[in-house]
Amino acid sequence: MILLDFGYERAATLQQAAAWLARLGDGAHVLAGGTDLLPSLRAELVSPGVLVGLSGIEPEPPRLTADGSIRIDALTRLSSLAHAGLVREKLPMLADSALAVGSNQIREMATLGGNLCQETRCLYLNQRHDYQFAAPCFKRGGDCCHPFPRNDRQTCWSVHMSDIAPALIALGAELEILGGAGMRRIGAAELYTGSGLQPLSLGRAELVRAVIVPPPPPRSGWGFHKSTVRGGLEFGMAVIAVSLQLAEDGASCCGARIAVGAVRERPLRLESAERALVGARLDDERLARVAPDAAKALNPLPHHGFTRRHLLDNVAVYLRRALAQAAERARTGRA
Amino acid sequence: MLEANESTPVTAKRSQSQLISLCVNGEWREVAVKPRLTLVEVIRDSIGLTGTKASCESGACGACTVLLEDRPILACLTLAIECDGKRVQTVEGLAEGGKLSAIQDAFLDQGAVQCGFCTPGMLMSATALLRDCPKPSREEINKALEGNLCRCTGYNAIVDAVLQASGQGVEPVMK
Ligand SMILES: Cc1cc2nc3c(=O)[nH]c(=O)nc-3n(C[C@H](O)[C@H](O)[C@H](O)COP(=O)(O)OP(=O)(O)OC[C@H]3O[C@@H](n4cnc5c(N)ncnc54)[C@H](O)[C@@H]3O)c2cc1C
Ligand code: SF4
Ligand code: FES
Ligand code: FES
Repeated sequence: MILLDFGYERAATLQQAAAWLARLGDGAHVLAGGTDLLPSLRAELVSPGVLVGLSGIEPEPPRLTADGSIRIDALTRLSSLAHAGLVREKLPMLADSALAVGSNQIREMATLGGNLCQETRCLYLNQRHDYQFAAPCFKRGGDCCHPFPRNDRQTCWSVHMSDIAPALIALGAELEILGGAGMRRIGAAELYTGSGLQPLSLGRAELVRAVIVPPPPPRSGWGFHKSTVRGGLEFGMAVIAVSLQLAEDGASCCGARIAVGAVRERPLRLESAERALVGARLDDERLARVAPDAAKALNPLPHHGFTRRHLLDNVAVYLRRALAQAAERARTGRA
Repeated sequence: MLEANESTPVTAKRSQSQLISLCVNGEWREVAVKPRLTLVEVIRDSIGLTGTKASCESGACGACTVLLEDRPILACLTLAIECDGKRVQTVEGLAEGGKLSAIQDAFLDQGAVQCGFCTPGMLMSATALLRDCPKPSREEINKALEGNLCRCTGYNAIVDAVLQASGQGVEPVMK
């Protein structure tokens, strides 16, 4: 049961939704699939005066643009994203990351834009506060932090758990952002501020309109892994996405993008690990050295019962495997 | 104050009920709903079809699964007002003319029902799966049902029931 009352308006276009958000001010909130927002409403993490619903807007199917990029409407449902022929063929990592989210029903409802813009998570945050944790934490405007008592009001260590954002960052995707001032385009990683309190860099009336993914370069391969406890209907303990490109000699690496999600306030790119790979031969020895260093550089936050040590070990193992898989795919040319 | 022009929403109708039409199991109905009401609340409390269960009310158990325009969705994470003009099928809509559907029969036969609380959601997820994929593998069944939790059966009987209903070699147990 949602206890708060609010108004509801169904937008006919994304432009209209952005205009309404601008006019209605802080009290308005946009509703896409609702699989993240409805739990937040129930937990009273947000208390909008009006919800602007996007469900009346039909998303454009994913399409190839003139420069070979793939343009995906932000309102695309994750089930369509995971099964779209174009996405499966050209961007199998993106399709797999969509298939990793939640459950079948969640994927039928959830949208790509909502996945990227989901609320950060912390055991103490995404639930009603009236029975277990009466005192509101910093993120709720109160003055304590339950898991990290030494944090101050500028520091919230809730984590961003999108499964899809790391894949998009590793694929070098960009986002089209629609706002009052028109359109702007940003890299996928720039959507995130790195603050648990204010995770997104979007302005109040800005919306993600589309995701543009460049075509994977020749001799490239990918690796994706979502670490979980039971392997279904579960948020990730760590989400790893890797793209590697081999030079013409077919052995040394000439391009690397590595992103890890669910362990920090935003999905992180591991630039030091990328630098350690570019120019090197991608043999097992090298990968076994790079992966644990990368996990350390990531400095994972303990979250949802997982200790820092556990996450370090988990990322080190699965990052090595994802890198090996990406290198193998790049060598054999098999998706 | 909001200016009244094209791009201004009529009003912020905070808390006011609005009339919506829903086609539930083939029958159109008009219901007055407040924007904050979820589909599962409206199906159970306003329409009176209590087959659909509300359990976790946070998307984690699948007990509230119904078909909206033939797709399996969670009625606890769907605002009823967003379903205006749409078709909903609930567990009450599976039997035709007093005869259980093949999947319902198979659930009974395999003992895939114990306390029964997960059953309506399981049946709706399984129905959607069999429409898309008439002969699913065990793995496909597991993936399609990953959002439906059962605390009683241990799942094997449920997976067997889906295999039985799709005519894939699982023998009826009780018949
Ligand atoms: C049980 C359960 C399990 C889950 N498991 C996972 C999981 O494994 N992995 C995962 O990544 N997520 C998971 N989620 C979170 C959520 O379901 C998904 O992230 C989903 O993709 C959110 O999309 P939505 O369209 O439903 O978002 P909504 O709930 O509609 O919106 C989420 C937020 O984004 C904003 N928003 C929506 N669309 C836009 C847009 N176009 N531009 C700007 N802002 C926008 C909304 O205002 C809201 O604040 C889970 C949720 C539940 C309930
Ligand atoms: S980490 Fe953030 S969300 Fe969690 S209790 Fe502390 S302030 Fe609140
Ligand atoms: S009641 Fe809807 S998923 Fe549990
Ligand atoms: S039969 Fe009891 S929860 Fe499934």
